[in-house]
Amino acid sequence: MDQQFNLPQRQSPIGVLVMFFDTLQLWARGLWPVLLIYIVKFKDLNSVYLFLGVAAFLLIVALIAYLKYLTFTFYLDSDNDEFIINEGVLNKKRTIIQLNRIQQVDINQSLIQRIIGVYELNVDTAGSAKKEGRIKAVSHALAVALKTRLLVNEISKDQLPSHEEALVNSVEDDKPLVKISFLSLLKVGITTNYVKTFGLVLAFLITIFDNVKKIIPEYDLSDEDLESYIDQGLALKSIGFVFFVLIALILMINLIRVIFKYFDYQVTKHNDSLVLSFGLLSTKSTIVKPEKVQIVTISRNYFQKKMDTLEIKIKQATSGDRQNNKSIIEIPGCDENEKAAIFKFLFRNIPEKGIQLKPNYRKLVFSLFLFIVIPALLFFALANYVDSSLLDYVFVVPIYVVFIGLIVFFGYLNNRLYISDDFVIKQSGAWDIDNSIIDTAKIQGVTTSQLFWHKNADIGSIIIHTAGGDLAFQLGNFTTIKHHVNEWLYKIETSDSNWM
Amino acid sequence: MENFTNDTIDTKQLPKFEEVVFTSLHPKYLRVVIINLVIFCASLILFFVFFSYYNDEIFSGRIWLIIGIMLSMFCLFVTFVSIAGFYKKGYAFREHDVLYKFGLISNNTVVIPYNRIQHVALHESLVSRIFDLAKIQIFTAGGSSSDIEIPGIEKEQAEKIKQLLMGKIQKQL
Repeated sequence: MDQQFNLPQRQSPIGVLVMFFDTLQLWARGLWPVLLIYIVKFKDLNSVYLFLGVAAFLLIVALIAYLKYLTFTFYLDSDNDEFIINEGVLNKKRTIIQLNRIQQVDINQSLIQRIIGVYELNVDTAGSAKKEGRIKAVSHALAVALKTRLLVNEISKDQLPSHEEALVNSVEDDKPLVKISFLSLLKVGITTNYVKTFGLVLAFLITIFDNVKKIIPEYDLSDEDLESYIDQGLALKSIGFVFFVLIALILMINLIRVIFKYFDYQVTKHNDSLVLSFGLLSTKSTIVKPEKVQIVTISRNYFQKKMDTLEIKIKQATSGDRQNNKSIIEIPGCDENEKAAIFKFLFRNIPEKGIQLKPNYRKLVFSLFLFIVIPALLFFALANYVDSSLLDYVFVVPIYVVFIGLIVFFGYLNNRLYISDDFVIKQSGAWDIDNSIIDTAKIQGVTTSQLFWHKNADIGSIIIHTAGGDLAFQLGNFTTIKHHVNEWLYKIETSDSNWM
Repeated sequence: MENFTNDTIDTKQLPKFEEVVFTSLHPKYLRVVIINLVIFCASLILFFVFFSYYNDEIFSGRIWLIIGIMLSMFCLFVTFVSIAGFYKKGYAFREHDVLYKFGLISNNTVVIPYNRIQHVALHESLVSRIFDLAKIQIFTAGGSSSDIEIPGIEKEQAEKIKQLLMGKIQKQL
């Protein structure tokens, strides 16, 4: 089996189909204006030409897909410890990935790949933004074997397990560490992302409204008619009903989204890393290595606390500055025991909270000023000097003040920094309360800052930089902060701890 | 075995980063700052002058006057901030880490341990080359927010510092 990867090889023959759909998608995306014209002028077209055109198009796509399949080869160069991918029909491209640079190997399956029965293998290094190596269609056995080979090199060269053993290990029927049940997903679905989904629903409704407006004029209905119709419609229904429908819609969309995304979520221990796999239509699987984990965030709100469920977000070392959301790994709907199991694996022990730092009251005052006083003043200034009709909406002001005031106030109450010997935990958030945990050995650098008029009050801010992003805490006791910075620096500088 | 000790560390006695004496930037760097300022302000003002010359009708005379006042105030403000900022900047190389402080309104200090440095680069801009100055850029894995750039160091010394940092990095490996 070892030899198998040393010679250039192609993907599964059935993978031509994947290539076909991929190319089709690519071309369709590029040619959609042309397609649009075809569709609009559908009536005027000679159906024979249309048929011929479509047939020719598909034939060309198929030919290109086949050529792509033929030219796509990959192999392991064991002399130089490199993984090499050759691709390209006209423009040849050769991707060389050094084995010890490989960060992550994912095995994914999109809908099409699932129907055909092949898997996609993504190789990610720390180098650049997108996935460097991408093999679109291989069988499951090959994918697993290749993944093991690619990662074995990285884990340890001296205690390379025999291949059979590695394969046995990698078979995914190890007992899962965490298995998120359908019930937990339901809990997650009804308790998270209200704001995000509300935004989505709003955007959706606006788009529909816009489109209806665009289409209706053709049917002899003027803009005003439609708007007055909608106004009437809204007025007829009580606001409560609209509210109810909106909430129901949000909950439903949330549920569907969560179930599609996270169905059958499993976390398994494999060698020294965690393997996560999830998804209803397209199954994704990712590997998390404890040494690459930088920031772990537990997030939960009031409802989730009552239901004993929480979400864990894991940020791994990323390259560049991009706050790439794709590099965040989410584990939704764990309970306390599962959280403890995962933490034990990631951190060796469960992070303690240690001493507590509170932000100064000035933070609250400043936030209130920034988010309430300034907008309110702006509103009244505009109403006074620019457009007095704005005053009709003055009832919005108290609602805004109460709502934002509550958010700011609870955000202030929950904002804490906990420092223990090995961990820094930042707690924040008004409704969804986040606890971000950093292992002090993963700190890359520290920035402290103090406004010059805060010197006497002895308060200041700190930003902790890690390879997975920053963690900032404002207006805490500056003496304590500086003391701990010195301690962290001492710890980092006297040890050779591996941050990645 | 005899050399092995494991004394308790008094965390109060740890070296304090806040008490480090910072080296300020090379005085010649102030000239670089001023030249850059002049170039910036001159191009800004020239742009508006040319604009008003060719497109006088766009605004009324009063608005042109306001623009003129705003522009000169903006230039004065930028000049003040940059020159005052120059005196606030400073750097220090300790045995195990590098410190850089900056900031007029808020006093910021960035500390990067040598064993977290990814690479070091030397950067010479056109203006600073005239005065034989260079900028040291220190990169970590923490992204741009934790990278530091120390301007206004004599080129020879910058080269030495770079060598020193390189040596420190190598030693860590």
